[in-house]
Amino acid sequence: MSGFRHLLRWESGLAVLAVALFAFMASASSNFATSFTLQSLALNSTVIGFLALGVAPVIISGDIDISIAAMLGLCTIVMADVWHGGVNIWVAAVISMLLGCVLGFANGIFVVLLELPSLAITLGSMGAYTGIAFLILGGSAITGFPNSLVTLGTGLAPGTGIPWSTFVLLAAAAALAFLLHRTVVGRAIFAIGSNKQASRFSGLAVVRTKILVFVISGFMSGVAAVFYAGYFDTAQGGLGSEDLLPAITVVILGGVSAYGGTGTIPGVVLALFVLGILQTGLGVLGLSGQEQTIAVGLTLILALAVSAASRALRARLATAVPRVPSREAA
Amino acid sequence: MRRRLDSVLASVSRAPELGLIWILAAITIYAVAALPAFRTTSNADQILSNSTIIAILALAETMVLLTRQIDLSVGAILGLCAYVVGSAIGHVGGGPAVAIALSLGLGGVLGLGNALLVDLIRMPAIIATLATLSIYGGLQVVVTNGSQLYAYQLPHWVNALYSTHWGPLPAFAAVAVIFVVLLTIAVQLTRWGRDLYAMGSNPGAAAYAGLPVRRHTYEAFIACGALSGFAGLLYAAQYGNVDATAGNGIELTAIAAAVIGGVSLFGGAGSPLGAALGALLLIEIENILAIEKISIFAQELLQGLAIIASVAVYALVRRYAQVRARRRLRLKPVEPLPAAAIEPVPITVEGREASL
Amino acid sequence: MTQTLPDSAATGAASPVVELRGVRHGFEGVQALRGVSFEVGAGEVVGLIGENGAGKSTLVKILTGVLQPDEGSLLLHGEPVRFASPRAARHAGIAAMYQEPLIFPDLSVAENIFVGRQPSRSVFVDWSAMQEQAHGFLRRLGIELDPKTPARDLSVAERQLVEIAKALSLGAQIVILDEPTAVLSAREVDRLLEIVRRLREHGITLLYITHRLDEVMKVTDRVVVLRDGEKVADVRTAETTMRDLVRSMVGQELAALEQKRRDAQPSEEVMLDARGLTRYGYFEDVSFQVRRGEILGVFGLVGAGRTEVAQALFGIDPIDAGSIVLDGRPFVPRSPRHAIRSGVAYLPENRLLNGLVAPLAIRLNMTMTIWSALARLGIVRERPIDRSVDDLARRVRLQRGSRRRPASTLSGGNQQKVVLSKWLATHPKVLILDEPTHGVDVGAKADVLRIVAEHATAGVAVVVISSELEEIKDLSDRVIVMQAGTVSGEFATPVDEDRVVAAAYGLQHETAETPT
Repeated sequence: MSGFRHLLRWESGLAVLAVALFAFMASASSNFATSFTLQSLALNSTVIGFLALGVAPVIISGDIDISIAAMLGLCTIVMADVWHGGVNIWVAAVISMLLGCVLGFANGIFVVLLELPSLAITLGSMGAYTGIAFLILGGSAITGFPNSLVTLGTGLAPGTGIPWSTFVLLAAAAALAFLLHRTVVGRAIFAIGSNKQASRFSGLAVVRTKILVFVISGFMSGVAAVFYAGYFDTAQGGLGSEDLLPAITVVILGGVSAYGGTGTIPGVVLALFVLGILQTGLGVLGLSGQEQTIAVGLTLILALAVSAASRALRARLATAVPRVPSREAA
Repeated sequence: MRRRLDSVLASVSRAPELGLIWILAAITIYAVAALPAFRTTSNADQILSNSTIIAILALAETMVLLTRQIDLSVGAILGLCAYVVGSAIGHVGGGPAVAIALSLGLGGVLGLGNALLVDLIRMPAIIATLATLSIYGGLQVVVTNGSQLYAYQLPHWVNALYSTHWGPLPAFAAVAVIFVVLLTIAVQLTRWGRDLYAMGSNPGAAAYAGLPVRRHTYEAFIACGALSGFAGLLYAAQYGNVDATAGNGIELTAIAAAVIGGVSLFGGAGSPLGAALGALLLIEIENILAIEKISIFAQELLQGLAIIASVAVYALVRRYAQVRARRRLRLKPVEPLPAAAIEPVPITVEGREASL
Repeated sequence: MTQTLPDSAATGAASPVVELRGVRHGFEGVQALRGVSFEVGAGEVVGLIGENGAGKSTLVKILTGVLQPDEGSLLLHGEPVRFASPRAARHAGIAAMYQEPLIFPDLSVAENIFVGRQPSRSVFVDWSAMQEQAHGFLRRLGIELDPKTPARDLSVAERQLVEIAKALSLGAQIVILDEPTAVLSAREVDRLLEIVRRLREHGITLLYITHRLDEVMKVTDRVVVLRDGEKVADVRTAETTMRDLVRSMVGQELAALEQKRRDAQPSEEVMLDARGLTRYGYFEDVSFQVRRGEILGVFGLVGAGRTEVAQALFGIDPIDAGSIVLDGRPFVPRSPRHAIRSGVAYLPENRLLNGLVAPLAIRLNMTMTIWSALARLGIVRERPIDRSVDDLARRVRLQRGSRRRPASTLSGGNQQKVVLSKWLATHPKVLILDEPTHGVDVGAKADVLRIVAEHATAGVAVVVISSELEEIKDLSDRVIVMQAGTVSGEFATPVDEDRVVAAAYGLQHETAETPT
């Protein structure tokens, strides 16, 4: 995979950062390294994790999707509403995931077929999906989801102390990693993100692939919705909007280039872990939710600053070292 | 028939404000005819006043959109400035001049933050302003510290501003008009403003032509921040109470207004007048929906759809116009130049030092 | 033996305005300029000609400050200068105009001309003065164009004229025109040449780079010919003929190209039959046939429409009229994917933009077209890829080294081999190559041409688009020539060079020998 060595360095850096942060937080507060705190860490990271996994392929393919939080909100509300109307909760969950696919597909159609900028379209769909969510529920909320769902959202797998949701998240990450790094479609996503024109000239199915990434993004939002409902046990208009920034931060921190073409799923998972440690740790240290948000914003800036600096550094090194004249085959 | 279509397309892509005025007129006429509650002066005043804040924010957004950037933090800047400036003049006292200067200044500084991220760290504007949206919003929460700013804490002139009239217009609307005029002059009539259009139209060519692209990027974001800060002052004047969530989500409305008004997300096209008209249109529709008892929750949906529709329509119109223009490929036959020597025209070259 | 034309002394005008002394420049193992020296005097129009890859564009880049010479010096009015950037060159009074005009689509014509330096009253743009002055410059060019027109509505030809007006308005002393007429109609060309003459009368120095020898004969005072990075001729226009110029450009050595296709046995079976292909504004009524095992050369100048035809055949651009029969069946290319499935392969002219995904690994670039074929159920299988890569690398003689490095780390020649192998992997019926040896060093060039010849022998129908006459001459079984969007000639090999060149320049055969 292109830039392999570079990414390996980035992921090792993340791993080191994770360990360092963990050690710091553990030493700063005795409450941190408890199983309770760590479980909270894992549970809190679930929704953001699904969103980040969903939007990472979109960014790798050279576009962006800022409607992920809005799709999360709408899917949760539809699921809640449908269940409230008498449908079995698991059927409602499936509906949520299907709806996510539909919403993502709508994004894809406008961006890919009409060739409109993804920033603009997902900005608009962000508003549209949020608005629809509000229209469905108005100002009220739905709570009291069945125990089975709540267990999925908050419960721990017996004997391991690890939440169910974490298992599902890791399974999703594994599946996505497989798709991105081991299949033709995944290779195509990277190629398109690096050079859409050359990919098209090489016969890659650009239209189909690009629509697919938007559908994946929507689907993951739909999955996140299921876990949101299970964890928070509530659905009301406007939910999830605060998750957009952390999700994007995780993706960028995970080594995915904002311009497309590079990135790995393991990197995103590591970044999710790092962010989780950061936010949970700060929370244990007494920072409020808003203050944690500021920290997340600063993290995003830092991540991009580091990647920009390393790019500049590498460019300077490349020109400083004299080029070895290439030996042409006779 | 085709020529008629061509000229319509050409004029729409050149001056979307015209199309907007038609739509505005049509909707107004419908509302006046169909809704009695619409016809009162107080309702008209309300529409004009309520659209001011959005219009100012749309003007702010236009500054960066023209240069092919975007700013998602305008709402957070508005909220933060509303609280800080409101508290400051509430405590220390101060007239309009101080308040305006303070709001522009603080907003400008926050906008500078955005510019630094985009220029020094090379962050794409969408991600940079997503970060500052949260940071400034977080600061707003931290600064309010659980309480809020109350109307009675503000100087009297601030609270009175919303209901004052200057001549026939509500004071707010007059302020909007003043800013539209100022910005139209600055952006469409000065060399500085035309530079911004050039930057958005073709960033590479602009740099090549020696335009001070980096400096203009800073100026655009600072101007955007300053205007957003000023909108914050207006917010305090309109609502009196400013809490930790003031301004949340308003950025979408501002961008929708600008986009509907013909400001291209690709840069290089659109005008302050268009952005303001877009704001007016959005608020008027909101007003009509309220009168017709349609859920106010339809707002956000409408704005979202409006953005998508505007982007799609303007892009497709421009694309189609270009295709048709390319069909007319051969230049008209030109008369040969007269054989006599032509006087050399004095060539005036304005030296421009490119800086930054 | 190479026929050298008498080197003429400096023109005798007062001290030269621009002078190059021993300029050398190389890039990635290829020497683009090997010690070029010449000078241009005030009010002189010097034509700079040479085949693709002769070094013209490198020379222009040095003059305009985009590149710095590795060795040698540049003198302006007798003073040595070193342009650190394009801006420095512009400040020194050098303006360059290229084929692709740099314009601002959202701004008007007048604003384009005066971008960044509008006539003004204090801070405000003086619109009427700007319109007036813009109109003035346009009128001098004889263009009836409303300065208020948005640049987006202009055709490419009109945009070029705006850029010329802009260069004029910049008061440049040295104007470099790089292939300005490739997309202009005959009338506009005449107009442009008039302007060039007028500019000369004002004492402006012009460097006119073109493939169009008739224009060179009409408007230049001197002609400098480059070949393989060296100056091979520097003559007064009045003392030479087009035929001589062609000989200088083309030379008679054959570079590394010895592979004559003696074993060529093109069959009678027509693989690709194109009739009346038309795309408004790009090409018109183009018809040709390619047989199995045949190499059809497509010669022509830049802008003749050859790439456009190829891209239309490959499904990238639409075809407005005409028909194509591929391997006996009607073929309407819908997309590159569809074209590849139908057996057409296209090696694009612009390698970095359209051919290669630069950050992607070499092995992935080489197999991009067959990822699906090598996979099982969509899952990539590394070993078949590695096997294909090894096989292809052997066939194209790719430089040794890790195939997991990004393709951007390879030299131009090796990059081209990578792109070529991507297409060979699809086992095409028709292989279209667009300038396959462009920016490719000698050794790789020979390899590329050899592979092409081998494939033709194996039964593939090959189309080679090239601007290098030598290459086409030796490689092709037949040659068609395109000029200004139409097919202007069809020749069987061995071709008569003069007639091919004449067809490319749109001349009658007789006039190819007499200067106008």
